[in-house]
Amino acid sequence: MSLTVDTTRAAERARLRSDIAIAARVLAPYWPIDTFIAVNPLSGLEDRPFGEAIEIGGRLFGARGTLTEPAFRREHAAGRITDADLLAALRRRVPRLLAASAPVLGGRPAQPGELLLADLLHGEPAPAPRRLARTRSEREAPRVADRVDAQTTKWCAAFLDDAGAWPMPGREAGFYPAWRALAARDRSLPGAVRERLRELAERADDALLDALEALGVAVEAQRGTLQAHLTRLPGWAAHVRWSGEHGGGIDLVGYLALRLTYETLLLEHAPAQEPALDPARRTATPGERAERAAAALGAGEATGSELARVAALLAELPVAERALIWQDSYEGHYRDELLTRLAGNEPAAATTRPAAQLVCCIDVRSEGLRRHMEATGPYETLGFAGFFAVAIRFQDLSGGAPSALCPVLLEARNVVAERPASGAEALAERRLAGARALAGAHDGFHAAKDDLVAPFALAEASGWVAGPLAAGRTLLAGRFGALRGRLARRAVPPAPTSLAVHESFSLEERLLFARAALTMMGLTGGFGRLVVLCGHGSTTENNPYAASLDCGACGGNRGAPNARVAAAILNGTDVRDGLARDGMVIPDDTWFVAAEHDTATDQVELLDAQLVPPGHHAELAQLAADLQHAGEALSAERCASLPGAPAQPTARAAARHARARSTDWAQVYPEWGLAGNAAFIVGPRTLTRGLDLGRRTFLHSYEAGVDADGTALETILTAPLVVAQWISCQYLFSSVDPEVFGAGTKTIHNVVASVGVIAGHDGDLQLGLPWQSVSDGERLVHEPLRLLAVVQAPLARIDAIVARNTVLQHLFDNEWVALAARENHGDPWRRRTPDGWRPWLEATR
Amino acid sequence: MSRADLTKMTKIEVVVTGADAPAVRELFQATGAAGFTSLSGVSGLGHDGYHQGRLLFNDQAALELLITVLPEDRADAVIAGLRPLLDESSGVMFLSDTYVSRPEYFR
Repeated sequence: MSLTVDTTRAAERARLRSDIAIAARVLAPYWPIDTFIAVNPLSGLEDRPFGEAIEIGGRLFGARGTLTEPAFRREHAAGRITDADLLAALRRRVPRLLAASAPVLGGRPAQPGELLLADLLHGEPAPAPRRLARTRSEREAPRVADRVDAQTTKWCAAFLDDAGAWPMPGREAGFYPAWRALAARDRSLPGAVRERLRELAERADDALLDALEALGVAVEAQRGTLQAHLTRLPGWAAHVRWSGEHGGGIDLVGYLALRLTYETLLLEHAPAQEPALDPARRTATPGERAERAAAALGAGEATGSELARVAALLAELPVAERALIWQDSYEGHYRDELLTRLAGNEPAAATTRPAAQLVCCIDVRSEGLRRHMEATGPYETLGFAGFFAVAIRFQDLSGGAPSALCPVLLEARNVVAERPASGAEALAERRLAGARALAGAHDGFHAAKDDLVAPFALAEASGWVAGPLAAGRTLLAGRFGALRGRLARRAVPPAPTSLAVHESFSLEERLLFARAALTMMGLTGGFGRLVVLCGHGSTTENNPYAASLDCGACGGNRGAPNARVAAAILNGTDVRDGLARDGMVIPDDTWFVAAEHDTATDQVELLDAQLVPPGHHAELAQLAADLQHAGEALSAERCASLPGAPAQPTARAAARHARARSTDWAQVYPEWGLAGNAAFIVGPRTLTRGLDLGRRTFLHSYEAGVDADGTALETILTAPLVVAQWISCQYLFSSVDPEVFGAGTKTIHNVVASVGVIAGHDGDLQLGLPWQSVSDGERLVHEPLRLLAVVQAPLARIDAIVARNTVLQHLFDNEWVALAARENHGDPWRRRTPDGWRPWLEATR
Repeated sequence: MSRADLTKMTKIEVVVTGADAPAVRELFQATGAAGFTSLSGVSGLGHDGYHQGRLLFNDQAALELLITVLPEDRADAVIAGLRPLLDESSGVMFLSDTYVSRPEYFR
């Protein structure tokens, strides 16, 4: 008998865990903020069509998935969306309606397109989405729901903020045991509740099962109840899931045990409350829509029967689906224009060896640097994911814990350690000593600041200098930043280092990486004497979201180490010998140089210059000078859209401004990051060279001719494209619902250890990007579009790749990403549709 | 060595996407499995068509095979947890009797 009871309980626990895992699928992955990774907040719904996913997102999170109709109408009034765009979207989405017979209205035939346009432009806007998957306390006692949230935030922050002044007692035992030991001592709770908290089950899963039983939740309703609690504070829940998968001592079982226990006990002991009132939420009837459309068309005197026929037509397009028509037309306008420009691009083919080749990350910001660099001299540029195919765990000179520098889709297995370069050991020791001294001072200052009593003494002791320093940092950010830079270089002098690449990778691995990288970017011949592998990072001050501006392909870190490792591999004679045996000959006079583009300042630093052969020094100096000119020109271009930047500055002045901006600790718009991103272009540079794409396109180099089996294209579509789509969706949803899917305004952010930020002093961990990353405060800077993938490759090859990769079927078939392709230069663009490849314009116009 | 010298146990094999694998691993561990084996990047033809094996730069989209062996009396709990999980995804589960020479490794 005992065995049966145990077995039953074990099965209940297992089933509970399963239900939690399923319920949690709607949560987006959430990484700690110091390695901020862009994700689609609705990634758990990517196996559903986009329209259905945003509808579910509305029910679960109360969040919208597109701009509001009034916002779309403002874009229409401004000419950003035209009637032609709307009609094209209607033709693609509801062709049958457009082909319907024209009803008579006010005595004349009204074309269906005319009526639908009138409805789109003048109809009563669709009501805002409302969270329907609510917890019992949300439905019955909203104040209890708020108290449950407050307790959740309090205990999660206490547990996860391991660097705080008061570490949570017992946290080493894990979240649930620590909370269980302390919860009953919480004097903010009624005595009866505290009494019951003393009786909590020893195991978190048992406590959760007890709470579900006390709430009267049937087994078949269990998953819905759990999901309602998980989506109530989706930021905390998502981070707890991440912690659970990474040995953080907290998991969703404990998290939900806490929430449902509080809900159970507080509902039992709460005074009677009025249930939450649902705000009025009414959708216009077809008849009302018909009247509005008729009035907009000047047929206010239409008869009842005429209006009834119009209403029947409009009813075929539910109000909720109008947003998708608007979204399609918003995107269609940009996409048609982009593909037309690409189709008409005829750059002259290079006939001489380039001065150098610059391989940049696919990040949209690289498009600007590449364009300006090509305008500077006979340079070729290419695009490749900024980790340069080397997924590494990097341990810098200080020997701390290695950081994973690769896309989060991958697990980095090779640890690369930075060592002093031969002959530079003394300099490296000075650097390390300086770094240790600075870190000690920094830690000491912050320890005193965070302590209970020491801040008073700290203020007395350091206030006389801290005040003027703060004023200097604020009022003279540029000069102060330059001074700090000089002092830092004196205290922590640069020291040449080397990377133990041969110890970290076998020759076989190095050959694999080299072959994959060069084939994927189509650089298998025509090498210049210098090939620059240019990673990127962003220098900003006082910015919890700094990692969101660094390289996503490097796991939200700066890309210099990956560029250095890749260059070291490609300069290796053993690797080159191996590649030559495969027919890929890199000339002896070709040298790979690592570099890093600072996207906040537009400065490009050439790395490991000491390794460059003397015969290349003159070219390297010229390259450095041209990179400086290109960077300054890019700064001038960027100043046009940065709030508070000088209008039409000279290139030099723009560069000074960008540098000052990056060191300004009060600057909430240090740079625009990937705002504006809209397309992912896979093909040779001849497709885009010479075009100003406005830093809106991810550019991945690809030569179909060197990829006969499609392996390179498959890798591009299943990794860089997937990451680009995450970024696209992160920006999209942070723009259309900044409070739920974004991070709200930076001005009220409080950082919770390295976990994330909360708005104000409590509440949920913020999910996405701050409002200042997508808006200048008054208007959106980012256009919330879904990603367009543009591929120049044989269509049959693309089809075969999609057919064997579910992730791509989800993205393309469910309209998360649109796909345009052509096999050769000069061919018309075709769109992948459920009915096969169709001419792009025929499919939309 | 004859089969009589071996101890009968239950082997559970699960094929799921890399994204679902953490939930399966957690379930194995929470329900008392002493360990598991995991093979990433498995490929094959199934109900939903052909599944690509290892992708060069994406560990999550590929399928993963997870195998655990445990005493029969603990298998039911694992199955009770796995079934709803698999009902909601494209994964599959295989259950079979197996024999081990070192039963203490699996208890």
